[in-house]
Amino acid sequence: MPVSPEKPSTLSTVEILSQGMVINVGPQHPSTHGVLRLILTLDGEQILQCEPVIGYLHRGLEKMMERRPYRHNIPFTDRLDYLAALSNNLGICQCIERLGGVEVPERAKYIRVLLMELQRIASHLVFLGTFGTDLGATTMFLYAFREREMVLDLLEECTGARLTYNWIRVGGVPDDLPEGFGEKVLAFVKLFRERIEEYDQLLTRNRIFRSRTQGIGVLPKEMALAYGVSGPVLRASGVAYDIRKVDPYEVYDRVEFEVPVFDRGDVWARYLVRMEELRQSLRIIEQVLRDMPDGPVQTKLPKIFKPPAGIAYSRVESPRGELSFMMVSDGSPNPVRVHIRAPSFVNLSVLPRLLEGAKVADLVAILGSIDVVLGEIDR
Amino acid sequence: MIGAVAPFFQQYPLLWTFVKAVVLASFTLVIPLAVIWVERKVAGFIQSRLGPLHVGPQGTLQTVADALKLLLKEDIVPAGADKRFFYIAPYIAFISTVLSFMVLPFAPGWVALEMNVAVLFVIGVSLFNVVSILMAGWSSNNKYSLLGGLRAVAQLLSYEIPMVLSVLAVVFYTGSLSLTGIIEYQVKHGWNIWHPPIMIAALIYFICALAEINRTPFDLPEAESELVSGFNTEYSGMRFAFFFASEFANNFFITAFAAALFFGGWDGPVLPPMVWTFLKVFVMIFVFMWVRWTPPRLRIDQILRFAWQLLVPVSLLNLLFAIALGVK
Amino acid sequence: MKRIATDEKYNPLLYFIDGLTTMFFGMLVTWRNLWRPKITVRYPYQRRPVPPRYRGLFYLKWNEEKQRLNCVGCTLCAQACPTDVISMVKLGKGTNAGVSEFTMDLGRCMFCNLCVEACPFDAIYMGPIYELASERRDAALFRITDLAQGGEEAVRKNIETIQRLLAEEEKANPAESAHSAGGHAS
Repeated sequence: MPVSPEKPSTLSTVEILSQGMVINVGPQHPSTHGVLRLILTLDGEQILQCEPVIGYLHRGLEKMMERRPYRHNIPFTDRLDYLAALSNNLGICQCIERLGGVEVPERAKYIRVLLMELQRIASHLVFLGTFGTDLGATTMFLYAFREREMVLDLLEECTGARLTYNWIRVGGVPDDLPEGFGEKVLAFVKLFRERIEEYDQLLTRNRIFRSRTQGIGVLPKEMALAYGVSGPVLRASGVAYDIRKVDPYEVYDRVEFEVPVFDRGDVWARYLVRMEELRQSLRIIEQVLRDMPDGPVQTKLPKIFKPPAGIAYSRVESPRGELSFMMVSDGSPNPVRVHIRAPSFVNLSVLPRLLEGAKVADLVAILGSIDVVLGEIDR
Repeated sequence: MIGAVAPFFQQYPLLWTFVKAVVLASFTLVIPLAVIWVERKVAGFIQSRLGPLHVGPQGTLQTVADALKLLLKEDIVPAGADKRFFYIAPYIAFISTVLSFMVLPFAPGWVALEMNVAVLFVIGVSLFNVVSILMAGWSSNNKYSLLGGLRAVAQLLSYEIPMVLSVLAVVFYTGSLSLTGIIEYQVKHGWNIWHPPIMIAALIYFICALAEINRTPFDLPEAESELVSGFNTEYSGMRFAFFFASEFANNFFITAFAAALFFGGWDGPVLPPMVWTFLKVFVMIFVFMWVRWTPPRLRIDQILRFAWQLLVPVSLLNLLFAIALGVK
Repeated sequence: MKRIATDEKYNPLLYFIDGLTTMFFGMLVTWRNLWRPKITVRYPYQRRPVPPRYRGLFYLKWNEEKQRLNCVGCTLCAQACPTDVISMVKLGKGTNAGVSEFTMDLGRCMFCNLCVEACPFDAIYMGPIYELASERRDAALFRITDLAQGGEEAVRKNIETIQRLLAEEEKANPAESAHSAGGHAS
């Protein structure tokens, strides 16, 4: 803004030059992936300071949950991380199961793992697509979403919904897999293996893509641990921490898979971790379909579910990181206190540190590589 | 046809100039409609989509409808904008494109202005584009636009140099500054692209052309995902349409220029010369689109580093090479 | 200030050659996709097949054998609903009870399937209809005539059947059902 002659500025030229330009990114910006607002202070193309502003999507979910019986809260968790609704469903159901001491039938556990990994693929494909567009590779977006549609079609056939599935229940899953579901999933797995190769050829090996991601937004291991980040962001910084391995739930201790870990800690490593997780998810899906036993899928529970007084904490590895629920019961049908540890919220807290000294163009790469979902951050 | 009407008009040089100007200006307005439609279809097909379908057969009239919509929209000028520059920036962009078309030979005799320094003229007027982008970015009084404008100027100026050097290689090689002269040389001696120094020049020209018309991987000035369309963020309606039209007309021009410099212009067997020109142009436009929809975009420092550390020295060396080989 | 870590071994020419080759392979991918069948579904003209479990607009199941809706007005679905979508008016009492009014405010509905799972009488289901958007707020309010399989005709028959059954029951057992003729709202 030019200084108007009527009101002469008291700042000297040096002071004006050293202030930097404040620019507002979001809440309606194509690359903030939702309603995130970032207040950037720029020196030319260089970012001096970044201040994230959140809360545009706040709905008071934790309080809403305290006003409702336990099982009514499951559909609300769909709206937390809306790209991985099933992971959230599983998180809250595990918490309620621990609170009430509910046993889950074997087959239900396998179905849960199968759905979880399909969900992880769908979620990572959104990351891949939006990350591609952020960097300018618009075509990648459509390819990733094309394959995501296939996963959504599978999940739709199983659960009946395409985004807010709500298909995990306390004590199992509501219904068995539909007829011929396994074959369809295996056909998808086969096709998707080829498509991952194609993504690699189109994007991962591309020199421009590598130049744009390598050495950008480096998150050292110590800082990652200090900020408490989790999920692919943490694993890209060289910490082999995956809830599926360190605190196995459902049947993750019975399937073979690797946790990809990279030491670089940059945007490139975060991307590679997610790409490798796609492959590992396919492995898990194949094993789960092979080993799945027959049997019931849901434990019968009383109509009014009153867990004994106590406190329960459960954590799952959502596609974004460590998602945990804590519930306190006093023996009544409603929880007294619900707390959600949303991985995106914690991961976002490291963003200002990553952006110091980055270029404006790196902002979208770094923000995209953290892969935040605002529904989860604002709750 | 041109032979039939030309003698009549040549009695009245001013009228003749006026007719040519009108024809070229309307051509510059019409050609983007076709190019944009092709772009959308190619983009759609590459991305497993179908592209526009509804207006006209296969959506051919979609861009016409879009252009009409833009012309009818309210012309919004931001309150803080520097109005004079904001108003004229799109027209400068458009005029610089129309001016470049003036010296473009489509077929033997089909050139609005036969100029013996046509190449120099093209390089001169295409620089107006940079001015218009800077004006748009600065006068919008929008920080995103400003960043986009700054990026655009840094990028366009950096790539103008290797581009001019590679064009100069052709000039020295063929010994002519006139586009018609260059094409006629190629008709006699075979297309320039088959000669080693010009091959490298063509590659450099191709890369610089991508940068000049702001295509991925060099589409930083309008980086959709970072700068929300960059220098033209604040433009709407007709003024935006002029920016858009000049961008795509430029796309057409830069390929037609390349066809004249490297691919023998109208030269080709069997088909009439005009058809050959358009065929070459559209094949090249397709390649540009194909490139556009493949890679991510570079960062500003990488783009400038690439231009100054590689393209400029290589094109200089190549120029020496071309001079050494081309001296007759 | 932390500087951007650039690759130490930056070599313009090698980078350029690498760029050209990887670009070429990338363009092969886009070229392949140029000729692949397109996945666009031209929506208003073409539609995707809807799987049997699809959670669309609700319907109340019509029982052809008994000539009535399966719903007995037990309100279990209304109790299972987290957002209070369902309200109903019960008709009669006991084994032959039914509903005369069943209203769902889908403006609040999450399509979470909890009501369907709560129903012990196979009365409420979710169907394949998904085009529920409207310009009017009251269009989200679905009454029993919109929800019942068979529409108004079915609702009329349903009430007839239930009233007949209730009348028969009353004849057989007059003392017990005397005060429940009017039904009660939930």
